[in-house]
Amino acid sequence: MQQPAMILRESLAVLRAQARNGTPVWDLGVRLFHWLLVASVTIAALTGFFAQRSALQLHLIAGGIIAALIGFRIVWGLLGGGYARFASFAFSPPSVLAYGRQMIAGRTARYLGHNPLGGLMVFALLAVLTLIVLTGTVTLGGLVKQGPLAFATSFAGGAQAIGLHKLLSLLLVAMIAAHLWGVWFESRREGENLVVAMVTGAKSHIEADPPRWKAHRRLATLICIALGAAGTFGITALANLPGLGVPPATQDPVYAEQCGACHLAYPPSLMPAAAWSGILDHLGHHFGEDASLDAPTIAHLRAYLAANSAEHWDTLPAVRLRSSIDPADPMRITATRFWRNMHRRIPAATFASPKVSSRASCEACHRDAATGRFAPQKIEIPEASE
Amino acid sequence: MNLRPILLLAFAASLTGGATLAATNYASERAAIVARYAAEAKQANPNFHGFSADAGKAFFLAHPGTGRPETPSCTTCHTTSPRNYGRTRAGKQLLPVAVSRTPARFTNLTKVERWFKRNCNTVYGRTCTAQEKGNYITFMESQ
Ligand code: HEC
Ligand code: HEC
Ligand code: HEC
Repeated sequence: MQQPAMILRESLAVLRAQARNGTPVWDLGVRLFHWLLVASVTIAALTGFFAQRSALQLHLIAGGIIAALIGFRIVWGLLGGGYARFASFAFSPPSVLAYGRQMIAGRTARYLGHNPLGGLMVFALLAVLTLIVLTGTVTLGGLVKQGPLAFATSFAGGAQAIGLHKLLSLLLVAMIAAHLWGVWFESRREGENLVVAMVTGAKSHIEADPPRWKAHRRLATLICIALGAAGTFGITALANLPGLGVPPATQDPVYAEQCGACHLAYPPSLMPAAAWSGILDHLGHHFGEDASLDAPTIAHLRAYLAANSAEHWDTLPAVRLRSSIDPADPMRITATRFWRNMHRRIPAATFASPKVSSRASCEACHRDAATGRFAPQKIEIPEASE
Repeated sequence: MNLRPILLLAFAASLTGGATLAATNYASERAAIVARYAAEAKQANPNFHGFSADAGKAFFLAHPGTGRPETPSCTTCHTTSPRNYGRTRAGKQLLPVAVSRTPARFTNLTKVERWFKRNCNTVYGRTCTAQEKGNYITFMESQ
């Protein structure tokens, strides 16, 4: 038990000595940026590529942190000192090419900050990350009708954005692999562990040419605070606008009473008008039960359902459900291709469990079922008791 | 002078008054529905002797086997004890059908008729007689 603690203490001592004796290269801002970005990109990638939809909130938090980090890095790249300054690693295209040629020939000079290829990689990573954040925000607005762009983004727009979002994310993974290879390659060539250098901020075995740029700490802090406050305010204000194609929910009391007696009064947005009409035509034989009603009530419900059916909504459940009705079982939401695909991983026993009872009791797992939104963050399968 | 006790007393009195009024309203509305079924039953059967809670209980617990396979008995949804919360096949909770537990039961003729029509059809595969409906409500009033 003593050993791990001792190893940790010794490694910390080595790092501290290296920081003290080496030449300072990466300031605190650059190092914090780097490692927070590593953590948030890792979380965003894991939740994005592998997790279930209910993990969306974590994905969004990671994305928000990445956006803030990009904002900070741009400010610090313009106002920071030494090797934090963009200008210190913005090389002209010919010098980047020359560096590449030298590297292939195996005789490159050593750089204290980023070398020309490494510098290019920083700009490329920042650009791709920015595009990923932007396409992610469009996706969120169009498909989930959440976030600052929900008020202006159609479902179709969101569906296009998610394709780009995925493509850019794969590109990012490839770039990160190239970046890691570059770090390994340069570390071996320079005889200096560059990962450790990004922790301590210092490099050894190297002559220092003094950094030309002075840091404007106070100004940078002020700008970051102002941008952060304005951004938070603006994003919150935009996110509070009603989503495009999300009309205000109308609750018809007759519908709520008559069609909410045996199950959730399914939001009219979940089915196309034709399906609702079919249900109203066969109430005497309603999924094994008699749900018959008098003609005036049926007429009232028909008008209400037709005016609020899936055709009038641009939300994910409405768009997906209305286009995947099963012709063999056109009155069931749970028979649609989309519904079956979405719930294919849930075992039959979960639906049969006492807390759920039926596939049709959406509200057992979707806390916002009554609103018709079915947001990924509101999904929670009840724990089987006993 | 301290008005608080008087105000509290007045408040309590109006509350109990309101509750009693509502209860008597429920009771009288239910009585009107039972009286209506009694008149219908008498018309159908001149030997009609009034309603029986025991017959209502048997009707409630029976598994007639003449309705739809999904709903073999009234107890499928209302459970074997009228004092329990019920549950539909789609998982929605139902208030107990015993009048002592849910005082507003059987007080709206339209609602009562709608559900007798539906549930008699699904469980018994036919409409219920006025005698059966009256027995059922009388049983639930005794619970
Ligand atoms: C007497 C009880 C009862 C009433 C009243 C009732 N339903 Fe149903 N409904 C059911 C049952 C039972 C099911 C099947 C549930 C299951 O499969 O678990 C069902 C299923 C449905 C489904 C399909 C759910 C799925 O599996 O996708 C829809 C849609 C529906 N009902 C709409 C309506 C509408 C609209 C009304 C009002 C006119 C209504 N229901 C009134 C009992 C009822
Ligand atoms: C047993 C729990 C359960 C029930 C009951 C259930 N769902 Fe789901 N639903 C889920 C889970 C879990 C997911 C997420 C699946 C995933 O992450 O791949 C989901 C996903 C969805 C989605 C996609 C949400 C999104 O945008 O990410 C929709 C829409 C949906 N369900 C609709 C319904 C409807 C309509 C009903 C009722 C007819 C229903 N669900 C009943 C558990 C349930
Ligand atoms: C498939 C489920 C189900 C079955 C089986 C069922 N009921 Fe019901 N019953 C309901 C529902 C749902 C309601 C309406 C909601 C409520 O009032 O709690 C209801 C309400 C009623 C009402 C109206 C109560 C009131 O407050 O006015 C009567 C009467 C009734 N049921 C009688 C019966 C009888 C008699 C049987 C057996 C022949 C039966 N039910 C079987 C589901 C069922």
